[in-house]
Formats: sequence, C-alpha cells, structure tokens
Amino acid sequence: MNPHAELRGVTKKFGGAVALNSVDVNIEAGAIHALVGENGAGKSTLGKIITGVHTPDSGQLLVNGSQVAFKTPRDALALGITLVAQELSLVPQLSAAENIFLGIEHLRGPVIDHAATRTRFDELVEEYGIEVPPDQVVSRLSVADQQKVEILRSLARDASLIVMDEPTARLSSSEAHNLRTTVRKLSGKGVTVIYISHFLDEVLAISDRVTIMRDGTVVRTTPTDTESRSSLIEGIVGRSLETVFPPRQAPELAAPAVLSVRGLERTGAFEDVSFEIRAGEIVTLAGLVGSGRTELVRVLFGADPPTGGSIDLNGLPYQPRSPRQAIRAGVAMVPESRSTQGLLPLLPVRINITLAHLSKFVAPGGVVRANQESSAAERISQAVGLTGATIETRTAQLSGGNQQKALFGRWLVSRPRLFIADEPTRGVDVGAKRGIYNLLVELASQGIAILLVSSELEEVLGLAHRIIVMSGGRIVGELAGEQASEKDVMTLAFGASAA
Amino acid sequence: MTKPTIPTPRRLSLLTDYGIIWTTIALFVLLAITTEAFLSPANLRNILDQQSLLLIAGAAMTLTLIGGNFDISISASFINAGIATALTVNATGNHLLGLAAGLGIGTLYGVVNGAVVAWVRVNSFIATLATSFVFYGVGFLLSDRSIIRIKDTAFSEIARGRFLGLTNATWIAVVVVGLFWFTLSRTRFGRHVFATGGAAEAARLAGVRVKLISVVTFVLVGAAAGLAGALSASRTLTAQPSDDFGFVFAVLAAVIVGGTSIAGGDGAVWRTVFGALFIALIINGFNLRQIDPIIQRLIHGGLIVAAVAADNWTKSKRT
Repeated sequence: MNPHAELRGVTKKFGGAVALNSVDVNIEAGAIHALVGENGAGKSTLGKIITGVHTPDSGQLLVNGSQVAFKTPRDALALGITLVAQELSLVPQLSAAENIFLGIEHLRGPVIDHAATRTRFDELVEEYGIEVPPDQVVSRLSVADQQKVEILRSLARDASLIVMDEPTARLSSSEAHNLRTTVRKLSGKGVTVIYISHFLDEVLAISDRVTIMRDGTVVRTTPTDTESRSSLIEGIVGRSLETVFPPRQAPELAAPAVLSVRGLERTGAFEDVSFEIRAGEIVTLAGLVGSGRTELVRVLFGADPPTGGSIDLNGLPYQPRSPRQAIRAGVAMVPESRSTQGLLPLLPVRINITLAHLSKFVAPGGVVRANQESSAAERISQAVGLTGATIETRTAQLSGGNQQKALFGRWLVSRPRLFIADEPTRGVDVGAKRGIYNLLVELASQGIAILLVSSELEEVLGLAHRIIVMSGGRIVGELAGEQASEKDVMTLAFGASAA
Repeated sequence: MTKPTIPTPRRLSLLTDYGIIWTTIALFVLLAITTEAFLSPANLRNILDQQSLLLIAGAAMTLTLIGGNFDISISASFINAGIATALTVNATGNHLLGLAAGLGIGTLYGVVNGAVVAWVRVNSFIATLATSFVFYGVGFLLSDRSIIRIKDTAFSEIARGRFLGLTNATWIAVVVVGLFWFTLSRTRFGRHVFATGGAAEAARLAGVRVKLISVVTFVLVGAAAGLAGALSASRTLTAQPSDDFGFVFAVLAAVIVGGTSIAGGDGAVWRTVFGALFIALIINGFNLRQIDPIIQRLIHGGLIVAAVAADNWTKSKRT
C-alpha cells in the first residue's frame, strides 16, 4: 500500500526546545492513523507540519510519493490536506451551510446562489452520511455538531487527508461515540484520517494503525490490533505503570462532616440535592454532561446563588454570596475550564498561584511583599510538581498539565477545608494526571474534604471513597468507591433503574 | 495540547517589550542632532510642562485600560473640572477649595461611570461616550455657556509656579505618575486590576471583587482628569465649556502608543510616560521645523494604528 503522507527525518525546534527530533512516519492512504503520547511529545506539532501550519527545520515531507514544501495551510489544502484543530474555527453567527462554504461560495454573478449551495450541501451529506441542520446558526449547535460542520467544511474543499487534534476532548461520551462513527465513515470513503487523542480506549477502538510518540521522537508505529491499553501506556511513559491511582486511605469513621447539603436547589439546574462529605473523604460526582454537577459545585463555591435549601460548613450555616466569601470560609475550587475560568494567561505562574490569598503577602497599605510572595510561589510550584517552567513563566506558555498544577497550587497557599475540583484532568497527559491524583489523595490524608467532578469513569472509581451519581439535576444514587463498577455508575447515570 | 513550551528568545523580547523606550531615545537623539533649538533647557522644560496634564490623566487611564475598560468621558471631566475650579475660586477666593472642586467633580463623574459600567453592565466605551454628552451638557449649564475668567491672577501660581526650574504642574505630574506606577506594580489593588482585565471570570473565581476593582479604576481616572482640569484652569486662568474630545484622544494615544494593551490585562504606567514623551517629541520636532500642524494629526492617528498593530504582532508571537 502506498503511503498517503510520509515524513522522513523531520526535525522541528521552537526556540531552543526540540519539538520533533528526526521523525519518520508513514501514513497509509485511507487508514485511520492514531497519534498518542504525553503532552509535549510532539503529536500536535507533527499534525501541524503535515497540514502546513508549521514548516520543518529539516527533513522531508512527501505526499503521494512526491516531496512537498508547504509554507502555509493553504498550500496543504491545495493537496487536499486539512486540520480540524482542538479549538474550532467557525464563525459563530453564520449558519452551518454558510460556514461550510465560507470562501468557496457558489455565486451567480455577485450574489450567493443559495440553491446551488443547498444542492452541494445535500450532496456532501449524502456522500459521507454526516448530518447537521444546514440553516442553524453555528453558535446554537452543540460542540459535536460544530465539529461535524468543521469536517464537512474540509470535505467541501475536497479533503483527502484530515488531521483531527483531540476531537473528542470536549464531547460527552455519546457524542464521542457519534464522532467515532463519523470518522469510520470517512475512512470507508477513502479519506485518510490522522487521529490525535489522549483517550487510549478510543484509539484502540477506532484506529487501524497507531504511532506512539515520546519526547519528540517516534517510539513505534504498529497495527493497532497488536497493541493493548497497557502496551500503549508503557510506550507513552517509557515504563510500565503498575497502577495509575495512588492507594486510598480510608477516612476516619468518626471524622466530622465538613460539608453538609440539605435540599439544595437551583431552578433549571438541579434540585433536592442532599449529601455530606467528612473530613479526609474523597467524594466524586459522576454523571453525564448536563446532569447538573458543575452547576452544583458552582453554587457550593458561591459563584451562582441557590434558589432553595441549606448548606452547613463545619457545622455552621454557610451561605456564600460570592467566591470571595467561599474562599474566606475555607472552600477552594479548581473550575471546569482552565482557560476561561482559571488562568490569567498573560501573567506569570507566581501571580496565578498567589492571587486568591494575596493578603498573606501584603503589608499594611496594600503593598505586596515581593520576596515573601516569590518564595511561597516557589515552594508551592515545587510541591505541586510544576516542571519545565519557572515561577515567572507566563501561564499561557505552560502545557495543560502544568497549567492545572498551577491552579491546584493556588489553593495550597492557605489550607482549605473543602477542596472542589471540576474535571481537573481534562486534556492533561498521563504523567500529569498521576501527579494530580497524588495531590488529591495527599490533601485528603491531611483531613481536607474533597469533592471531585469527573466524567472519566476510571478516575471516578479509582479515587473515590464514595461516588454520588447525578442525572437530570438530581442525585440518583450513591455507591461505595471500592466496590462500584463502571457499569454500576453508568446504569445510574443513564437513568435506568438500578434495581 | 501537545504544544511545547516555547521560550521567547531573550533578544527578541528585549526588542519588542521595551521597543517604546528605544524608539523614544532614538527620536531624542535624532532631534538633538538635527534640530538646533531642541536641546535648549527652555525647550525641554516646555515639553515636560506641556505633557504634565496629559500624564496625570494618562497614568490613571493606564489602570482603566489594563482593568479591561475605556473611559472616553475624561475630556468632559477635564473641561468641567476647569469650570468648577474657576467658579469656586471666583466665588470663595480660596485656591485649595478651587482645586478640590475640580478634583471632586472628576471623582463624582468617575463614580457615575463606574456604576454604569459595573452594575448597569453597559460596555465601557459606549457608556462613557454617553456620559460624556451628559457631562458636556452639565458643563454648559454650570458656565452659562460662556468663558469664565479667574480674577485672582495669583491662582496661576499653582500650575505655573516653579521649583528647581520646573513648573509645579510638572512636579505634580511626577508625583501622580509615581503614585500610579507604585499602585499598579506593587500593591494588591494593582494586581487585582491586572487580573480583572486579563480574565474577569477567572479573577472572580479567585476571590477578586472584579466590579469593585473596575469602579475604582473609573473613580481614579475621573479624579486624575479632574485634577488635570483644575491645573489647566490655573495655567490659563480661564475655563470654557465645550464638547471637544481632544484631551481623551491625546491621553489614549499616549497609553496605547506606550504599549498598554487595549484588550486589558497587560501594560504599565512607565509605558504611558514613554508613549506621551514619544508623541510630544514628534510634535515638538515638527513645531521647531515649522511643519504644518495639520500633518501632526495625521501622524497622531497613524501612530495609534501602528501601536495597536505592534501589540497584536507581539501577542501573536508569544502565545
């Protein structure tokens, strides 16, 4: 079989950092070729070189057997190669069809020919079996549908090779399933797909071949059916992982309840929510996207007001009217979205870490004591295992895992009583995940109550002392962490009766 | 996600981060070499005195912009403060009371702007454009649509008096700029201004009172414009109602040309100082070489576009 694309000895540096080091990969035509590796392993860089976003420093790129030198994504597009990036690049105010044909509109004179556009749209849908409502404004579509629009946009430009960078990272599990079906359809039509993903089960289920990358080099490229989950992890981290999760230490039975929620509701988001968390206990909130978990923890953190019910913190009534009050009461939260709710991207790690407890480093008159602040930030960045950056590095330049560690560090400046983490491992690599798990378990062992929202079942099961499952804004069940299985959780989450 | 950490090459960042310093120095040297009258102490003192009012408002505006907001209404505050100062000095004969009146009316306008932006949630550009017209109207009413002359000519000493060869207005600007520089770069409030403008929701979830921070930046810029207006009345011994946006335009030009980001979250008071000096040097050079003043406007506008373009360019390089 002829390779559709081929990299020979490709090297790419950014400043002093080597992103790719003499990489050789063959991408077979019509195959689904997965790229796996930790953050920083070079997967996205490789994808961007194939699609003309980056130009290699040395080495060759061959497409259909002949050497090419892409200078821009436009050059790659001319050969039918496109990128569906993590951050979608659609115009939110335009309709699906308008986005798909943006820049290649069918015109009659100076006017857009709507009939011809529609015909071409129907042809595309017919040919690839990917359906989206053509006239719906894109901002009203789900992330999953927006992704389909991106894919159709590639196909409308006669794409024969599509690079997808973490396409399912922001999708719910049923949406991710649909996307995988779409990808298979593309492959069935002879389109080559390069599939970059953190989700190993997904890679195993969908891809024909897989390339494992580590530190900018290729570990190996093999047919996917010769790999297993553990062999992939071994290749990615370069050592075998006995178990990803640190051992759980049971909380003391007599430990007092730190958080106690009774009949809490927020109209339109969740209702009749009652539960407790004891000191040193890790409780995970499981459920599908939209089950009300994020809304619940936002109320607990004072980010949104409740419409009913009551909360006690350490046995005292607790009614936070702002995150500021919640923080003063000893509650910490690592929010769902790092980029929009957590980080100050233009500011350095130091400022991001000390932001919430700056009062600790402030002299009378509001002047920040720079030395105290720096040494605290230094100590904390080491405690959370921040690597490859100093405390003066802008957080925008950190990897996803390091960004998340910096956000954890923000809440370690002052010891919280209740620590809430909403999807803390989303989009971070295997090594950083483990670091975050260790941190959570460590905090619990110090007697801090932990409330973890997660959509990754193995995380829900691997960390929790107790699992609370939410569905449709209500608590539908509670499971003991040690005994629960994935099936137990999903049965509850999908709303089927557990009995 | 797989983006490797990209260390910005040190040399490039020195060039782009401090570009406004190098260009200002280069321009200074160029003028010193090519233009005869430029290096005379009188000319240099003049430049500083002319920039003093703009610097007072510009230092405060830097905080407003970093906090993620614009204040277009400082022209109105500036003009009304002059009127309030002139009226008060004529009515009471008390110079300090006159200064206080100017400062007070600017502060009051700042509170109004802050309230409209933070609590009524109107986009700051539109909100302060709208309040500008209200304030201009108030100015015409207060002054009865006429020029007010300050009868007590000794009042001019407040701005025009000299200390160590420089005017009092220059010294006041030095003190005010120093205060805002310190506040922004060294205090908790300053830190919270950066956080609010950089990512408001993230700042709120970290316990920053983002609305209060925004309001305070409006109050500060209003007060600073008020002080500038009062000093202007002292300098000219007159105050005149108008609806001219010239002052805010010059102030924004200095802040933006200095390199403070119009998107919020990034910038510095020293940048504004260099931005103001850079523009002042260009205009001074033109004046000394007797180039048509109309050309100055073209340059002024062009510089703002160039500065924003440079900001966008360095942003795209570093993220």
